Amino acid sequence: MDSFSSPPPHSGASSQFSTNDIMDQVKTQLEQAYAEQFLETVRDKCFDKCITKPGSSLSGSEGSCISRCVDRYIEATGIISKALFSQR
Amino acid sequence: MDPSSLQSPELQNFLNQQKERAMINEMVGKLTSACWDKCITSTPGSKFSSSESNCLSNCAQRYMEMSLMIVKRFQSMQ
Repeated sequence: MDSFSSPPPHSGASSQFSTNDIMDQVKTQLEQAYAEQFLETVRDKCFDKCITKPGSSLSGSEGSCISRCVDRYIEATGIISKALFSQR
Repeated sequence: MDPSSLQSPELQNFLNQQKERAMINEMVGKLTSACWDKCITSTPGSKFSSSESNCLSNCAQRYMEMSLMIVKRFQSMQ
């Protein structure tokens, strides 16, 4: 990739990346990846717990199970990190 | 992009920090998943029972303890 070795062809100074820009980019993309991964896990776990017999639509009780499940999974994540990093 | 900025100690330091964060994140995620399966056996309620939350934190701590035991076990085989 010659954009790495030669100056950017257009738009001059504004397309020059600073170290800070790179760090911001990496941070944002990591946050996004972490969030997506977490969402996927919660989806799988709560599907297992709450949608035991899929019907023709989500029932009210399935809906409330899902919201409790999401809340509990987030809480469980907190309990686990606390157990790992603030023990003894 | 200025190639010298890729070598900056500031950036290397930042990347190392992020690597560590990623490892911690993965560990917490993996353990939460495994311990959730072991400890939360009924439909999730509006609050964890004390046995559920104790089980979760015991589960995480026993996992760490076990990891150490396994490492020692392997070391003793050499």
